[in-house]
Amino acid sequence: MLVALAMLAGLSAALLDFRGLVPHRLGHALASVQLVPAALGAVAGLTLSVVALLAILALTLALGRVYCSAICPLGIFQDIVSRLARQVGPKKRFLRHAKPLSWLRYGLLGATLLAVLAGWSGVALALLDPYSNYGRIASDLFRPVGVLLNNGLVGVAEWFGWAWLYRVEPHWAGAGALAVPGVALTVVVALSAWRGRLYCNTLCPVGTLLGMIARRAAWRIEIDQEACRKCGACLKACKAQCIDLRTAEIDASRCVGCFNCVPVCTEGGIGLVWKWHRGAAKDPEAAAPEASAPPADEGRRAFISGSALALTAAAGVAGAVVAEAGRRRRGQGRGPQDQGIVFGPVCPPGSKSVERFLDVCTACHLCVSACPTGVLRPATLEYGWAGLTKPQMDFSKSFCNFDCNRCGEVCPEGAILPLALAEKKTTQLGVARFRRYMCIVHEEGTACGACAEHCPTGAVHMVPFRDGLTIPQVEPEQCIGCGACEYACPVRPARAIRVEALPVHGRAIVVKDKPAESPAPVDDFPF
Amino acid sequence: MNTRREFLRTGLTLGAAFSLTDMGGLFAADAQSAAPGAGPRPVLVAVRDGDRVAMLDKAIAELGGMGAFVKKGQSVVVKPNIGWDVPPERAANTHPSIVKRLVEMCFEAGAASVSVFDNTCDQWQKCYATSGIGAAAREAGATMVNGKDESLYREVQIPGGRQLKSAKVHGLVLDSDVFINVPVLKHHGGATMSAAMKNLMGVVWDRGFYHSNDLHQTITDFLTLRKPTLNVLDAYHPMVRNGPRGKSADDCIEMRTLLASADIVALDSAATKLLGHPEPGVIGHVRLGDEMGLGVMDLKRVDVRRIKLA
Repeated sequence: MLVALAMLAGLSAALLDFRGLVPHRLGHALASVQLVPAALGAVAGLTLSVVALLAILALTLALGRVYCSAICPLGIFQDIVSRLARQVGPKKRFLRHAKPLSWLRYGLLGATLLAVLAGWSGVALALLDPYSNYGRIASDLFRPVGVLLNNGLVGVAEWFGWAWLYRVEPHWAGAGALAVPGVALTVVVALSAWRGRLYCNTLCPVGTLLGMIARRAAWRIEIDQEACRKCGACLKACKAQCIDLRTAEIDASRCVGCFNCVPVCTEGGIGLVWKWHRGAAKDPEAAAPEASAPPADEGRRAFISGSALALTAAAGVAGAVVAEAGRRRRGQGRGPQDQGIVFGPVCPPGSKSVERFLDVCTACHLCVSACPTGVLRPATLEYGWAGLTKPQMDFSKSFCNFDCNRCGEVCPEGAILPLALAEKKTTQLGVARFRRYMCIVHEEGTACGACAEHCPTGAVHMVPFRDGLTIPQVEPEQCIGCGACEYACPVRPARAIRVEALPVHGRAIVVKDKPAESPAPVDDFPF
Repeated sequence: MNTRREFLRTGLTLGAAFSLTDMGGLFAADAQSAAPGAGPRPVLVAVRDGDRVAMLDKAIAELGGMGAFVKKGQSVVVKPNIGWDVPPERAANTHPSIVKRLVEMCFEAGAASVSVFDNTCDQWQKCYATSGIGAAAREAGATMVNGKDESLYREVQIPGGRQLKSAKVHGLVLDSDVFINVPVLKHHGGATMSAAMKNLMGVVWDRGFYHSNDLHQTITDFLTLRKPTLNVLDAYHPMVRNGPRGKSADDCIEMRTLLASADIVALDSAATKLLGHPEPGVIGHVRLGDEMGLGVMDLKRVDVRRIKLA
């Protein structure tokens, strides 16, 4: 339980952090040991992810779904919700044993696996991964609420003359992007308040997958029929409704490995039992449902019929998906367009290309929380449906800090690969396009230069215009698409300089200047 | 009689030596100093060839010590340029050693509180940290205040504004007894030069309004609301191209100079010379500052005290 609370607290701190106080390595490490990020990170070649993935599988094979009780933040969060619900709600009787909704469980897992095989991991995992769901809930909903609380406290702090609290701008995602964690939070809270880990044992594909392994785990919780007096104490302690006292069976696929049932038994009638002594399940491959014990038969049937159901559904989705992907490949995202130039969406440095980014990212929003400038914001439909809630660079709100590579450092999935600072500074996400006919200098005949002022590479610079004025000029090959110029441009409603997104990131060149010479005499006052 | 004749003769001789505008300036200066209640010529201290702190100490001493600006128990706001997330050697921000020494001087003069802030361009916490100003100012006892908190800004009328009629101004600037402006000298792609007057863009909330409503005029307009009590210009290692952010330390040259004055226009006028501009008037806001009577651009009408430390 302490591990669980530490995990939830650590991850929540990283996701809620609006002042950059939590070491980014902590968030990265805790997120990296989550199953889906670990699997994706392992594919992307991140060492920590490979180790984490093997460790989770080994842990599950040894002790069952301990992951769901001690590592998964969404699971731990649900335990807190159901405990609170029991405190505040009507005097709650304990949760009885319930039958599994196998067709739904295995259907969803099957659909997820099929989607992954079909190259649709980017959508299925993003919507169903429990860690990412918690990430979005914490980052998009809890974080701005935390900011508002903080801002409320600033007034108090100021009254006392404390300067260590300061106001922060709450970043609310767009309504469309906010709806996703909003629905997830509602579902998760409702289901956990009603029936404990119902979500984990019905909707969560990670829970179902680990359940299939847990069914063959080395140690499993068993009821000692001789010692058991059927008092029901274990039932009361169980949050997964997986203990059937009548048959003295425990559904290992639904047991979330919290072990709450063990200490409550006064008779010593329930506990972990080594189950591999018969040799039948020593092969880890036996984790597949084919070779399983009686309760699994039902599971197997459900898995097959569920898969068929999922296949049909997946086929329907696939059509839309292919069309969407095609549009993306042709570089015609749904980003704002102007005179044939596609200005968005821009994906973060290290993600390499929009297509790759959408395939890997599950929108856990750890990067959104970690981004110091707040330029990374959840997209609504800017990337198309495939990119719903995935982070994009919103240059109307902020711009990418030149000396920062934080998003790549925190990403647990390799969706944003870590870049050395020097490499990040030449990674071209897009190219600034200057619309001279809209520029203040051209239109009003007054000085401006806000864009060039903010440009960190010198790609946007000022050249002589008329009447002693200067006007911006862009050197596209030196531009990294950080969006500083676009953010700074005061022209409205449409800005006179905007970043054209590169579907595949490029490499900017760096022009090294000779040391500057003094414009005035160096050894005396020029006045 | 004799005196008047002498005066006229001197004036005419000088007038022959100067251009017509200069002569006008000369008489204006004389008229000003002769007028009852008008102060003497503004003092501008220019120091060269010392380290930053030594030049600052010398300049403030020459202006009569910090006690001439800060009285016991007063609140002080110090406004450096902290616009960019770059280290001190890039000279895009005021050097932290100067800010720190100024804060110390304010406390030595009996200031009750010293606050430091800027409405930065890059992310503000990063600017405060990377510039070195956050740590240096705190070490000297100052409070670093958030310049990106809109609720700390108040909408006020700009009494003499031509373009900038009203603006949201940081409360520290509106409420502090003493307002010390401590910019860094830089080339600026849009405004040509960034020194004391340009630095005050960082005390208003909406910088974009300036850019879209005649940059030079709005920069000047602000001064009709409040002029700094004291201006100190860091020109030790000024950026002479690619400003105001700069690409590398190669954009800077070693000048080892510091200017200080209560007259912001006079100080910026001298700054234009440091950047090699033939006439201060080529910088729009310097010319407008003089035109609107906010300070003296013509250095001949300024008591320039040139000090070389080596």
